[in-house]
Amino acid sequence: MRSTGAQTRRRIRLLIWKEFLQLRRDPLLLRLLFLMPIMQLILFGYVVAADVKNLSTAIVDLDRTTTSRALEAHFGASDYFQVVAHPAESDLQQLMDTGTIALAIVIPEGTQAALDRGETAPIGVVVDGSDSQVASVGSGYAAQIIARFNAERMNAQGVDLAAPGIDARVRVMFNPTLASVNTMIPGLVAAIVMLSIMAVMGQAVVKERERGTLEQMFVTPIRPTEYLIGKVTPYALVATVQLCLVALVGIFWFGVPFAGQISVVAAGLALFMLTSIGLGLLISLVSHTRQQAQQLMMLFMLPSFVLSGFIFPVDSMPAAIVPLTWFVPLTWAIEILRGAFIKGSGFEALATQFWVLAAFAVVIFGAAIIATRRRLTE
Amino acid sequence: MTAGVPRRAFPEDDPPDDRRPSERLRGTPPNPDAAISVRGLTKRFGGFTAVDGIDFDVPRGTIVGFLGPNGSGKTTTIRMLTGTSAPTAGQALVLGEDVVAHPERVRQRFGYMSQKFALFEDMTVEENLRFYAGVYDLSPERFAQQRAYVLQMADLQGRENELTANLSVGWRQRLALGTATIHDPELLFLDEPTGGVDPVARRQFWDLLYELAGRGVTLFVTTHYMDEASHCNQLAFIYRGGLIAEGAPAEIRHDLLTERVLEIQLTNVDGALTWLESAPGVEEAYLSGASLHAVLDPDAVPGFEERLRAAGFPDAAVRLVEPTLEDVFVNLVARAEQS
Repeated sequence: MRSTGAQTRRRIRLLIWKEFLQLRRDPLLLRLLFLMPIMQLILFGYVVAADVKNLSTAIVDLDRTTTSRALEAHFGASDYFQVVAHPAESDLQQLMDTGTIALAIVIPEGTQAALDRGETAPIGVVVDGSDSQVASVGSGYAAQIIARFNAERMNAQGVDLAAPGIDARVRVMFNPTLASVNTMIPGLVAAIVMLSIMAVMGQAVVKERERGTLEQMFVTPIRPTEYLIGKVTPYALVATVQLCLVALVGIFWFGVPFAGQISVVAAGLALFMLTSIGLGLLISLVSHTRQQAQQLMMLFMLPSFVLSGFIFPVDSMPAAIVPLTWFVPLTWAIEILRGAFIKGSGFEALATQFWVLAAFAVVIFGAAIIATRRRLTE
Repeated sequence: MTAGVPRRAFPEDDPPDDRRPSERLRGTPPNPDAAISVRGLTKRFGGFTAVDGIDFDVPRGTIVGFLGPNGSGKTTTIRMLTGTSAPTAGQALVLGEDVVAHPERVRQRFGYMSQKFALFEDMTVEENLRFYAGVYDLSPERFAQQRAYVLQMADLQGRENELTANLSVGWRQRLALGTATIHDPELLFLDEPTGGVDPVARRQFWDLLYELAGRGVTLFVTTHYMDEASHCNQLAFIYRGGLIAEGAPAEIRHDLLTERVLEIQLTNVDGALTWLESAPGVEEAYLSGASLHAVLDPDAVPGFEERLRAAGFPDAAVRLVEPTLEDVFVNLVARAEQS
């Protein structure tokens, strides 16, 4: 009574059918599976990824000349600043204390006159330092705008630009608007694959063991490998739908540019899915109850999110911590996805990342299969 | 457990040529004609020996009761026989196939039902049947036949589309039995199948088991209900991983006839129990229902009532009773613990 390939395929189809039936009967899980990525999109797309934008700005124009008005117009035209007040200099302190403004530009009297004489005219930038990000980014943007204004003015006056002083502009590559959402969404795609696959895989097998249905299935002709394929396929499909949803919403709603090749993204995600499935299986293997599986998953998730560069850039981590990030599969998946999305990198540029991720996938998934077979037949 | 001449349960009472069946089987090759044939089957978990080198044959077409207290090795044995747990040592033939090396060769031919309701609770009756029919690769015509049979047997006609979670225990039990036998197995393993079921449903369930046995299916049932044990053709007692008695229920009861079992009724049960435990000629004393049972040396029986009354239990009424399987079992366990 050896199983033929046709029998194996039939049993796998049955297992997949069974899994989808059960999924359909669990409306809460089903809703969670699709609400979770959407909720995360909103959180990461709007809240975490909120850039320094539309800073409430006050202009104190003591000069009242065409130059001062032109400078103000430059600020108003920028996305980063929103001119909300034209107070007297003495009122600045109070506006800043109450949080009405985050930044103020003070154009002293005689600015135009000084410039006409060819002298340097100081412009005051007053920043609310209580939010360090606003302070550094806001003052930086302000300096850029003033520099650009200066350049345009000199250009208009025919001043020789061949010998400029210092070009203070910061050139940002690949993500010129510095929009965090552009780096967040590719990371989120990877994070969601990991979250939903691990959550479901970790729970699903434990649940069947708790209920005794696993025991029943393993005295039938179903083989462990058939069971695993039948279990993994439905959730891999669900995860694929989830990540397509996230990628599409990211591209069309949040306007994340997609510069890369679909094949690179797909290959990276497939490898990462295998890794996550393996991790989920390993979790379900060492846990005896669903609570244990849940706790173990949390234990694994938090370091992954913190160390992978998903939220905090790896470059800004202390040197001693950086090697730790190499052992987190999510780190490599995120590098591949960000590279492919934003820089349009291909397989060659991402070769290291692909090899590392492939090694993770082989080792973890392989270990999971061996351990599962051993555990199930013990 | 092979059928044959009545045998004594206790080796120390036996002449050397009349050993227990399992002892005669020890060291012989397993029997491929038996439904189950086990030699030296052993399972260790770390330093703990769950099953300690047991030997037995189950002839085809019998109902075998595998008895023992919780943790004695019943479930571990079934798991090894169904190929879900690899033995540490020993051989196991199930329907003539080596279940240790090639469990997949024989899984199509046996069924298994556990105490736990192991069907999918979030699937309907119909879906569960369809799933297991598919797993056993039944043809559509065969499935239609079996489906009709199971629904009728489990009294579930018209409830095909109900989730099994909503069925009450008796129905679930029968549906589980129907599902475990949907592929017409030659052998059925039942691991405490009637746990948590009321007596009426238990009786109905045993009627179904008799029906299966009547069709020639070999049944291997574990239980700790003694009344169920008397439904079996053959019994095996397992205690701490070893077989301590085998035979037909009548033989096993008969084996204890060297001792006498007395039923004692009186008011001061606790006091009498203490006295009995140290009284000469009393081998064993324990509560059985509302009365006491005492296992006595035959020589101690005459005048025992008088001795008991004189010892401060004036209302004691003593009656000689046929040993029940429970008596046998308690006695066997006590002996096993002493040795």
